[in-house]
Amino acid sequence: MADHPMLVLRDLRKTFNPDTVMEKTALAGVDLTLNRGDFVTVIGGNGAGKSTMLNAIAGTFSVDNGGILLGGRDITHLPEHRRAAFLGRVFQDPMTGTAASMNIEENLALAFRRGQSRGLRWGISAKERALYREKLASLDLGLENRMGSKVGLLSGGQRQALTLLMATLKQPELLLLDEHTAALDPKTAEKVLRLTRHLIRENKLTALMVTHNMKDALALGNRTVMMHEGRIILDLNEEQKQHMTVEDLLAQFEKESGRELSNDRMLLT
Amino acid sequence: MNIAQLLNQLPGAVAQGLIWGIMAIGVYITFRILNIADLTVDGSFATGGAAAAILITSGVNPWLATLAAFLIGLLAGLVTGVFHTSMGIPAILAGILTQLALYSVNLRIQGIGTDLGSRANVPLSINKYKNMLVSLRNVGSFILENPIWLMLFITLVLIGLMYWFFGTEFGCGLRAVGANQQMARAQGINTGLADIVGLMISNGLVAFSGALMAQYQGFSDVSMGRGAIVIGLAAVIIGEVIFGRLFRNFALKMLAVTLGAIIYYLVIQVVLWLGLNTDDLKLLTALVVALFLAMPYWKSRIRTRKRKGGPAHG
Amino acid sequence: MKKLISLLAVLTLVLGVCACASAEEKVYQVGILQFVQHPALDLATQGFKDALTEKLGDKVVFIDENASGEVPNCATIASQLVSKQVDLIMANATPPLQACTNATGDIPVLGTSVTDYQAALEIELDGNGATGMNVSGTSDLAPLDGQANMIKELFPDAKTVGLLYCSGEANSIFQVKKVEEYLTVLGYECKRYGFNDSNDLASVAQTATECDVVYIPTDNTAANNTEAIANVMIPAKVPVVAGEEGICKGCGIATLTISYYDIGWKTGEMAYEILVNGADISSMAIAYAPQFTKKYNAENAAELGIAVPDDYLPIED
Repeated sequence: MADHPMLVLRDLRKTFNPDTVMEKTALAGVDLTLNRGDFVTVIGGNGAGKSTMLNAIAGTFSVDNGGILLGGRDITHLPEHRRAAFLGRVFQDPMTGTAASMNIEENLALAFRRGQSRGLRWGISAKERALYREKLASLDLGLENRMGSKVGLLSGGQRQALTLLMATLKQPELLLLDEHTAALDPKTAEKVLRLTRHLIRENKLTALMVTHNMKDALALGNRTVMMHEGRIILDLNEEQKQHMTVEDLLAQFEKESGRELSNDRMLLT
Repeated sequence: MNIAQLLNQLPGAVAQGLIWGIMAIGVYITFRILNIADLTVDGSFATGGAAAAILITSGVNPWLATLAAFLIGLLAGLVTGVFHTSMGIPAILAGILTQLALYSVNLRIQGIGTDLGSRANVPLSINKYKNMLVSLRNVGSFILENPIWLMLFITLVLIGLMYWFFGTEFGCGLRAVGANQQMARAQGINTGLADIVGLMISNGLVAFSGALMAQYQGFSDVSMGRGAIVIGLAAVIIGEVIFGRLFRNFALKMLAVTLGAIIYYLVIQVVLWLGLNTDDLKLLTALVVALFLAMPYWKSRIRTRKRKGGPAHG
Repeated sequence: MKKLISLLAVLTLVLGVCACASAEEKVYQVGILQFVQHPALDLATQGFKDALTEKLGDKVVFIDENASGEVPNCATIASQLVSKQVDLIMANATPPLQACTNATGDIPVLGTSVTDYQAALEIELDGNGATGMNVSGTSDLAPLDGQANMIKELFPDAKTVGLLYCSGEANSIFQVKKVEEYLTVLGYECKRYGFNDSNDLASVAQTATECDVVYIPTDNTAANNTEAIANVMIPAKVPVVAGEEGICKGCGIATLTISYYDIGWKTGEMAYEILVNGADISSMAIAYAPQFTKKYNAENAAELGIAVPDDYLPIED
């Protein structure tokens, strides 16, 4: 009955700009295993390797060493667009997740066909449109009445909500969220987080969420990992999370990494 | 300065504008839809002319010859695409390289059947090849053979085809690549393949236009594509500047490109009609195009200035 | 709407022409389409205009257009001249000739500075050397066998001749081919050096210096860049025989010249025959330069230490 874990990262290593002045070892041997249904939050200081880890999984670049297994298949050497079939992604920059010059329903149509080969079938069928309207309505942002509007007209929060919807329209095996509320104002960020939690729960998704907000990191998901200098130094399960406060977390960090966490953004939010 | 004379010259300008308009639509696909600056067109335009000329002089039906030119244009675009995606060469350089190579290729194509093996110029006299699709000879008369009719028909069919293509799943994927590459990849679209297909279609259209031009002017010359990219870009931008507000629909946007090409040729016609020294033709054309390009910029500056000087004092 | 405008335009023109014809004696409208600004072409145009002006005085009006070297402009200007219903068109160089003959099958077109009418128009001249259509004109062909013989006369001991030309110019390719035939018969080994445009002209010329002698036909690009060629050939001590005087003056040793002014003048005379005396252009033979002169560049010859026979005339400054 034990099926394979959803995600396995084995000793991932990546160095950018090797042999130059700007050389940076972003991943120094990352090992991580996610089971189906895990909702893992990832925290760490600047340059800890959080986004790099997500990008490595997505295939934005290829790793120097190590292996990535998704749903049992080895995707270490697959190009980015081929991995997209199994992944849903939301980026930090609201501009990145959608095409501003195309309208809402066209963006959704693109996401709907993720992983399929695109042929010469024309346009969007009425059935599809109805589906989109229904899904947009559940966002409660009024977007279902503006399906023909260009996405460039939407606010940052609306675009992130749309990106989130696009990422989950086709059930992904793994949802990658890269500080997706960082660029939003607190109220909108709150809304998008609520939406995130709802979608993950409803679709029983496996998700990896990078955040700079330690309170959120502890409150959301069933697992929290902390990264430092390209490695995972802390892995808290559900029970540990429940009894952990932000101060405790900081103390733990100092213990594991041997130094103080000096990132204002993480401490003050 | 006779207005009647200017009106008399309009058909010529319209006909040439329509032929170049097809090339401009090709440029629109790479420049606006895919966001690639493709300089191959200076070469592929002449390649289309060369291919059509050689085929027509060998007795091939002009319709087939022109279609064959389109296919050869596809190949030219493929070469640039491969340079860019498989060899990692930046798009602008890839286009320049292909265009460079095409110069020799065009000489060779035109030289087929000659003992020298290369030829710079192939005559296509309307007297000899009476069934060519379009000709300078007929542009002044109000007859069925007037190239304007066929060009209008071809333009409309072409715009229809493009509208259909970019509405398909694949076509939408191409548009996404041009709009946001990162997002397109995240949605599983092979951006390298998209670039290649876009370049192929674009250069196919450019070569098609070159084939028509060779028939229109009555000869194919290896240097006939020189400056084509400038005309193409000018047409795209003039079309946007003038019709940008009115034409939001994709099909109409391509119509705007065609109109832009016609306007460009009208400008040249007016400059000639004014009797100004033709030595200054290039300078004047450059000035007029610069004016068109500056208009959107000036418009937005005026708008912000009005806003600044407005309710602030309330 | 278009129909209405065309009708109005035609009416206006017809009335205009009628008015002119009845009011006074006919003033001829002659259109000129020159391919590019260039000394040889300029001379041909000047000769043409001078000849007609001498014969017709103020009864001739010229519409003088220049395509600025752009092939697409030829079609534009050609159609413009046709729509102006000029009485005759003079096409100076091959692309204008081709564009004009396609633009009209009625208006007489006289070409000049065209080397090979048969190749340019894809026709065969009849037994009299005429085209049989609304085209005639003058050719700038200097006898190529004469030029080959000139090389033999000046450089009998040379083994290799390099042929330097622009691969984009049809006239040059034609001349190179013919000269090569004559030179091979005379016992020389010929090699071709074709450059694309003024950008690679210097480097191709440099490669050509491996030959004993270099020949340059009446090539427009070479004519515009003789400095660059001289800078390569003179230091390498390679003598250049040129197809026309302009090139020889810039970088050559000797040339068998025709005068572009002369063929332009001859074209003007032909135009007069057609316009005033009603000659039929379709049976007018293509005319060639009336005379050739052996000329040499004294300065270059001295620098390369080449002795030139007495029947050569020095090129004046």
